[in-house]
Amino acid sequence: MAEHGGCFPPMDLFRSEPMHLVQVIIPIESARLTVSYLGDIGLIQFKDLNSEKSPFQRTYAGQIKRCAELARKLRFFKDQMSKADIKLSAKSEAKAEFNLDDLEVKLGDLEAELTEINGNNEKLQRSYNELVEYKLVLQKAGEFFKVAQSRAAAQQAEVSSEQAAEESLETPLLKDQESTTVDQGKQVKLGFLTGLVPKGRSMAFERILFRATRGNVFLRQSSVDEAVIDPSSGEKVEKNVFVVFFSGERAKSKILKICEAFGANRYPFAEDLSKQAQMIIEVSRRISELKTTIDAGLLHRANLLETIGQQYEQWSDLVRKEKSIYHTLNMLSIDVTKKCLVAEGWSPVFATQQIQDALKLATIDSKSQVGAIFQVLHTKELPPTYFRTNKFTESFQTIVDAYGVAKYQEANPGVYTVVTFPFLFAVMFGDWGHGICILLACLFLIFKEKKYSSQKLGDIMEMTFGGRYVILLMALFSIYTGLIYNEFFSVPFELFSPSAYACRDDACSEATTIGLIKTRDTYPFGVDPAWHGSRSELPFLNSLKMKMSILIGVAQMNLGIILSFFNALYFRNPVNVWFQFIPQMIFLNGLFGYLSLLIIVKWCTGSKADLYHVMIYMFLSPTDDLGENQLFANQKTVQLVLLLLSLIAVPWMLLPKPFILKAQHNSRHQGQSYTPLEGTEESLQVETAHDSHGHEEFEFSEVFVHQLIHTIEFVLGAVSNTASYLRLWALSLAHSELSTVFYEKVLLLAWGYNNVIILIIGGIVFIFATVGVLLVMETLSAFLHALRLHWVEFQNKFYEGDGYKFAPFSFALLGDEDE
Amino acid sequence: MGFFVTTLTFIVIGIIACLCTRVCCNKGPSANLFHLTLVITATVCCWMMWAIVYLAQMNPLIVPILSEGE
Repeated sequence: MAEHGGCFPPMDLFRSEPMHLVQVIIPIESARLTVSYLGDIGLIQFKDLNSEKSPFQRTYAGQIKRCAELARKLRFFKDQMSKADIKLSAKSEAKAEFNLDDLEVKLGDLEAELTEINGNNEKLQRSYNELVEYKLVLQKAGEFFKVAQSRAAAQQAEVSSEQAAEESLETPLLKDQESTTVDQGKQVKLGFLTGLVPKGRSMAFERILFRATRGNVFLRQSSVDEAVIDPSSGEKVEKNVFVVFFSGERAKSKILKICEAFGANRYPFAEDLSKQAQMIIEVSRRISELKTTIDAGLLHRANLLETIGQQYEQWSDLVRKEKSIYHTLNMLSIDVTKKCLVAEGWSPVFATQQIQDALKLATIDSKSQVGAIFQVLHTKELPPTYFRTNKFTESFQTIVDAYGVAKYQEANPGVYTVVTFPFLFAVMFGDWGHGICILLACLFLIFKEKKYSSQKLGDIMEMTFGGRYVILLMALFSIYTGLIYNEFFSVPFELFSPSAYACRDDACSEATTIGLIKTRDTYPFGVDPAWHGSRSELPFLNSLKMKMSILIGVAQMNLGIILSFFNALYFRNPVNVWFQFIPQMIFLNGLFGYLSLLIIVKWCTGSKADLYHVMIYMFLSPTDDLGENQLFANQKTVQLVLLLLSLIAVPWMLLPKPFILKAQHNSRHQGQSYTPLEGTEESLQVETAHDSHGHEEFEFSEVFVHQLIHTIEFVLGAVSNTASYLRLWALSLAHSELSTVFYEKVLLLAWGYNNVIILIIGGIVFIFATVGVLLVMETLSAFLHALRLHWVEFQNKFYEGDGYKFAPFSFALLGDEDE
Repeated sequence: MGFFVTTLTFIVIGIIACLCTRVCCNKGPSANLFHLTLVITATVCCWMMWAIVYLAQMNPLIVPILSEGE
C-alpha cells in the first residue's frame, strides 16, 4: 500500500504512522468484553458496517435505551444534588465490578426513594406555609376586631351618654327615633371573610370588590411586614391581611369568586375572642410540629444524596463506557450462521501485538470456547492519518490540523512548524522585556500542569493552557530576537560592546545635521544601540527589516518546495520531480533567490545600487547597461540568463505533465474495456465494499485545467507570497513603535514631573497599557499572522491536507466528547 | 572577520545542543532524528537572523543623525 522511497531514514512525526485495515471475528459471548478491552487500548477505529440500518433496527438498540435511561436517572440525581448544594466527591480509584443489571436495579430504587421524599417534602412544606399564613390572619384580623369592638363600645357609651343628657321634651322626635333604632340593636347581620392577598394586587382587589358589590362592602387591609412563602407557588410574596364585611348571599358568592381570581387565600375566623386565642395557640403548636417533621425529612434526603454523591462519578463513568461499548457493538455486522460478530477497523501497524494480546485476554476472561480471529485486509481505501504526539508536539500538530489533516503519509509540516512558527512570531514581537514577561506567565502554567489538566477550565483558559508549550517557545525566541533588535521595553542597551558609532569631532557639532560616523567594528550582536531615538532610525530599520523579511520568506518557501520534492520521492512520482519541482525551484530562485543574493551582495560591498531599479529593469529592459547599479561583474549576462530560464520554467510547469499523465493512464489501461471480476477472497462478505472504484476516470481537459490553475497559482503566488512576508516587517515596526510610545509618553513623562503620586499613576498606566496592548493584543496579532504565513505561504508549496484524522474507539477520549 | 568567528560560534553551539539532546532524551532512531531536525532548524533560524542584522550594519549607507534633544 505504501510505496516507500526508502533512501531516507524514518523520522518521528514526519509522516503518518503506517495503518492497515484489520478484521476481527469475535464470538458473541465474548463480544462485550472484547470491545471493552479494545476500548482500553484505544487503537482501533471501527468502521460502521451497518450504516444502512437506522438506529432502531440495530441489534443492541435495546441495551442503548437502558443505558440512556440510566444516564437520565444519573442526570436527575446530579440536578437534585446541585439544588441541595451537595458536592460530588472525587473519583475513587477502587475498581468496583458493577454489573449493569445490578446498577439498573440500584438506581431505580434510589430514584423512587428520592422522588417519594421530594413529594412528601413538598406536601409538608405546603401545609406549613398555609399554617403560617393562617397564624398571620388570626393575629391581624384579631387586631381589627379588637379595635372595632373598642370603638363600637366607645361610640355606644357616647350615644347613651348623649341620650341621657338630652331627655327632655325639646328633643326632636326624629333624633329620638334614630337613637332608639341604634339602641334597639336592629342591626343588620354582616358576614365577613378574612384572608391574605398579594400586596401588589391589593389595590386592584379593593377596587374590583367595590365595583362588584356596588360599594356595599367594607374592606380593611393591613400589610404584613415580612414576605410570606405562598403555599401554591412556593415563592416569597409580600401580602396584606384583609377583612371584608358584606351582607347577603349574592355578595358573598361574588366576593368568593373575586378572591379566587386574585389568588387570595381565605382562612376561617371565629368572632369570639376566646376562640381566637385558642386557635392561635393550636396553630402555633401545629407549626412547630410540622417544622420538626420537615427538618427530619430534609436531613434524610441530604443523607441519601450524600451516599449518591460518593458513587456518582464511578456510576456515570460506567454508564458512559457501557453506552459506548454498545454503540460500537452496533457497528459490527452479525453473522447469524456462525454465531459471531465481524468487526472491521483501521489500526496502526505497531499496535498489532497489543490488539492480539487484548483479544486473547478477553477470550480467557469470558470463558469462551472459541478465540477471536484477527486478520489484516488489503484495500485501496485511504487510511486515516495518525501522528503519535506527546504533550509537547500535540499543540503544534493541532495548529497544523486546524488548516487540514495531512493526507495519509504525506510530509507533515508540523515537524518544522515546531521551530519556525515561534520563530516567525518572535520576528514580529522582538522585545526581550516582553519576552521575559510572557516566559514567566507560561512557566507558571507549566508548573501547575498537573493541577490544571485534571480541572475543568473556561474556554479561553483552556486554549491558553493547551498551548503552553507553544507559548514557551514563542517567549524564548522573543527573548532572542529582542536581544537582536536591542529592545527592552523599547530601551536599547550596550550589552555586547560599545556602540560602533561616534561623533565626527570632539565637539559633536554635526551630530544633529550630518550625523555620527562608524569608528569601531560593527556591533557584534544585534542592532547598534546608537540608532534608537535618532532621526534616521526609521529609514535604517525599515530597510533592514524589509530585506530581512524577504530573505526569511524566500528561505521558508524554498523549504516548502523541497518538502514537495521529498513527497514526490516518497510516493515514487518522477513526473512531479522533473516537471514540477525543478521548474518551480528555477522560477522562484531565478527571480527571488536572485533578489536575495543581490541584497546580500549590496550589504557586503556597501554599494549604492538601487535594487528596485535593478529588479524592475531586469524585466522591462534586460539588455540595457546597468551603470551605477552594477553590483558584480557580468551582472547583465547573469540577469539575462536567469530571466530566460524563468520564462522557460513557466511552460515547463504547465505543458508536459498533463500529456505525460494521459500517456501513463493509456498504457496502464491498455485494452481494458471491462472492469475485472472480483477475485476470490477468503474473508467474509465485506469485500464487495472495497475496490468498487478500481477503474479511474481520466478527463484530459480536467487534468489540464488543474495544472493550469496550479501553474498560475505558483507564478503569481511567487510575487504575492514574497510580498506577504513583508508583514514580518510591518508588525515588528508596530510593536516597537507602540512600545516606544508607552515608554516615552507615559513612563518618562510621569518621571519628569518629580511627583511620587504622578509617578505611581504613570507606572500603573504603563503596566496596564503594556499588558493589555502589547502583551495580549500584540501577541494575538503576531500569533495570527505567523499562523497565516505558515498556512498559506509555506504550506501551499507542498501540502494537500485532505486526509482524515484517526479517531480510535478509546475510553480515555470519551470524557472529552461528552462534556 | 567578526562575521566568520561568530558564525563558527553558532555552529559550535548548534553541535553542542545536538549532543545535549542526544544525551538527555535518547528515544530511538526516529525520535532522535526528529530532535536533531528541531535543533538544526532552530540553530539555522537564529543564525540567519543574526547574520542578516550583522551584514546590514557592516557597510552602512546611512548613519545615525541624533535628534535635537540629545
